[in-house]
Amino acid sequence: MARINIGEFEELVLLVVAILNDNAYGISVMEEIEVQTNRKINISAVHSALDRLEGKGFLNSHVGGATKERGGRRKRYFKINTAGQEALNFIRDQRNKLHDQIPNLGLEYVSI
Amino acid sequence: MSQFDQEPPQWAIRFLRFYCKPRALEIIEGDAYELFYKRIESEGIQTARKKFSWDVLRFFRLRYIKGLEDINSLNNIAMLKNYLKISIRSLVKQRFYSFINISGLALGLAACLLIVLYIGHELSYDKYHKDIDKLFYVANNQSGAYTPARLGIQMKQDFPEVAEIARIQGPYAQTFMANGQAFKVSKGFNADSTFHRIFSIQFIEGNPDEALTEPNSIVLTKSLSDRIFNYESALGKIVTVNGETIQVTGVVADPPKNTHFDFDYINSYPNESWVTIGNWTGNNFFTYAKLTPGATAEQVKARIPDLVREHIGPELIKYSGHASFDDFVAAGGKKTFSLIPMSKLHLHYPNLALRSSGSIDNVYVFGAVALFILIIACINFMNLSTARSAMRSKEIGMRKVLGSLRSQLINQFLLESFLVCTLATVLALVIASAVLPYFNQLANREFSYSELFDISTLVRLFVLMLIVGFLAGSYPAFVLSAFKPIKALKGEAQKGSKGKVFLRQGLVAFQFAISIFLLVSTIIVYTQLQFLGKQELGFKPDQVLLVKNAFRLEDKGTSMMNRLRAMPSIEAVTLSNQYPSGSVSDWGYQTVEDNPRSYSFNTFFATDRFIETMGIELLEGRNFNNDMVSDTANIIVNEATVRWLGADDPLGQKLSRGDGEDYTIIGIMKDFNFRSLKQDIKPFVLRLMGKDGRMEADWFAGNYLSLKVSGDYQNTLKAVEDLWYETVPDEPFEYTFLDESFNALYQEEERFGNLFTASSGLAIAIACLGLFALAAFTLERRYKEIAVRKVLGASVQKLTLMIIRQFTWLVLIGALIALPFGFLVMKDWLSAFAYQIDLSNPIIWLIPVLAVSTIAWLTVGYQSVKTAMGNPVKALRSE
Repeated sequence: MARINIGEFEELVLLVVAILNDNAYGISVMEEIEVQTNRKINISAVHSALDRLEGKGFLNSHVGGATKERGGRRKRYFKINTAGQEALNFIRDQRNKLHDQIPNLGLEYVSI
Repeated sequence: MSQFDQEPPQWAIRFLRFYCKPRALEIIEGDAYELFYKRIESEGIQTARKKFSWDVLRFFRLRYIKGLEDINSLNNIAMLKNYLKISIRSLVKQRFYSFINISGLALGLAACLLIVLYIGHELSYDKYHKDIDKLFYVANNQSGAYTPARLGIQMKQDFPEVAEIARIQGPYAQTFMANGQAFKVSKGFNADSTFHRIFSIQFIEGNPDEALTEPNSIVLTKSLSDRIFNYESALGKIVTVNGETIQVTGVVADPPKNTHFDFDYINSYPNESWVTIGNWTGNNFFTYAKLTPGATAEQVKARIPDLVREHIGPELIKYSGHASFDDFVAAGGKKTFSLIPMSKLHLHYPNLALRSSGSIDNVYVFGAVALFILIIACINFMNLSTARSAMRSKEIGMRKVLGSLRSQLINQFLLESFLVCTLATVLALVIASAVLPYFNQLANREFSYSELFDISTLVRLFVLMLIVGFLAGSYPAFVLSAFKPIKALKGEAQKGSKGKVFLRQGLVAFQFAISIFLLVSTIIVYTQLQFLGKQELGFKPDQVLLVKNAFRLEDKGTSMMNRLRAMPSIEAVTLSNQYPSGSVSDWGYQTVEDNPRSYSFNTFFATDRFIETMGIELLEGRNFNNDMVSDTANIIVNEATVRWLGADDPLGQKLSRGDGEDYTIIGIMKDFNFRSLKQDIKPFVLRLMGKDGRMEADWFAGNYLSLKVSGDYQNTLKAVEDLWYETVPDEPFEYTFLDESFNALYQEEERFGNLFTASSGLAIAIACLGLFALAAFTLERRYKEIAVRKVLGASVQKLTLMIIRQFTWLVLIGALIALPFGFLVMKDWLSAFAYQIDLSNPIIWLIPVLAVSTIAWLTVGYQSVKTAMGNPVKALRSE
């Protein structure tokens, strides 16, 4: 597989979209990241990460779900596609492969 | 109240809607609102509003900002983008032609830019003076620049239209002392205390109204004041000028570069009667006048004859011997003055007033040269674009088939031409800044880089760019857009109609014409200069060292001259009041006859070794001898004087200054040029001064000490300098060599020659670039034809000749246009010289034509040979 061009934050967003499955749009993704990682992020960062991932072909999107909470404006829902899943798997495999190669460093190092 | 009734800050929403792409707007707004409502619940309305604004600001990213296509939904923008893309692609695809186009245009634009800078500067002279349209220079129609002392004062008294007058005199070079060191300051003037009401001068220290009211007052420019007083305040301090102590009453800002009144300091006038009241017959002052609002120069001019009759008339007839002023006028006597607008002094009357270095001719010549070069560059552009049009005919056909309007195609090609122009302009700025120092030399001005990149210059350049873009682009645009789509797609448009080829060749011929014209001008200017250099001057200036300010020697003059004579490398020494190549004064003499004739003779005063020192040949009679007292009543004249006298035996004849003051001719000199060769040799009189340069008891007129030097110049110069400082330690040693001084008379002409060399070189270079590209293109198109000819047996020489012959015709047509034009223009230029080269010499006319033909042959020939030598199989095999 070709090199996967994906940043750390993008990876995080991609994972969260995968987790949220059918309910992934800007705010839900942001809140999920905040809950899961305890890090504060701005909604605009999430939007541009989502747009970039869609541009790279890892996400599909559709528009819908106008609700009163948003003053009748529609949402853009994102859903991970096959390429996105492959990318996630590839990254995970690569990480695991690297983790497995770390020699046993002994307890005293780990405990620091 | 529900949270949904709350509203986020209006400005934030408006801002979001202003910048955000329509496609993303709804989603972003939705998310922002959702967050806003949620936050009202959890964090309160204030925080929610703040955070909403923050979110909107954070969304202000390139990704979400509207692009061109969002702002203007019309197709125009998209088409523009497409045109730009296609233009860039076709420029890149045909790198060679693009390079020639852009570099040729850039050279032309750079030349234009510099010349526009020059012309703008010239036209700006004196315009900074307040009320410039009310300021006038009063010129004396009979004797030029200088006017009587009384004139200005009387004008102000008698004429209600004259609001203010000021008189100035100068420039004087005087010696200042600062920090124990003497130095010369060359731009010094005397002026009336009203000078600041005429000239706009900015006072830094001192009261303008009182600065020059008292004698022995001086106003310094800031730079001179800083030099003397080490950047300290100068007001009220004392300076030493030529040994006199003078009080500083003002410090003013340095005058700007574009002024004809360029001074280092201004002295007040003494309160002596000849200055304050003055007389009517001596002409010693430059008079300036400022008119009242509403008054015109015509009104003042109409009053002048009355003033002359009333005030000058009585004095004039005292000298002329007429019974009344009417008799004086009836006998052809004249005394008139005119008002010249100060704004015209620099360019139109450079010889009046303070000898400004301007010349309206130079402005015209520079302007014409700029235009020529630009035309050549534009022709290149037009020719190459139309010639290449064939390559683009399919694109044009396709565009037309898909619905392009003709106007759209015109726009496309104009845009392309503007693109090329823009690139050329940027390159032109680079070229212009690289050659600025050389240009300054050529134009005798000091332009700085900040002036080159000045906003007004850049605006001018931009306008120039638009004009050139339009001119150069419009022809190809109209030709290309007129293609019939079917023909274009079939490739028939490639053939190019006869008219188009004719126009293209006509333009090339025109380029040759301009090149030949410039080359002819160059050759004539240089031949003339060389001719002047080879002229026999009638004396030997190359051995003469001229020391200035010799009047400062005073009583020590005799001993200094004796010590100089004792030096082995000095052959002769003389003192004189003027020197050849410098200014010459006129003295009026009458013949001693029954009907005396009078004439103003160019007159020098000198000590007895003048003729020897200058190497003038004495034809008849004898030289002066300072030891003979009676010789002060004798004169030596030149051949021109003898011719004017018309006497068979001039020796012993007398010339009279009137009242029995008679001078006897004791010697005749061979004619020698004591002025520029632009003028004929005029009748000349040499008179004797005392051997120490004394004319009267207290009047040392020996301004210049001339030494005839043989052998070692360097050591002699050093020895003279040492001796000078030993004798007059507080006067800087200033010297020149007489031949250099003579050469300096032709500086203007030499600059003229340099200008033509540079411009003709540039013109030929640009024209050749165009020719090179055009030839390459033509040959490319005739590739197959040439191959077929070759297969059928034509030799390389024949093929090359065939192609060269066409271009030779164009050169000859160009020559036919250029030569008569060049003849007329250069005849006019030569008419300023008393000594002229012979224009009927065919070499002057043949060389430029041959040179341009040779260059054209080389340019075209190289490519012809290359094409003709090519393997015909390759050409015929394709397709």
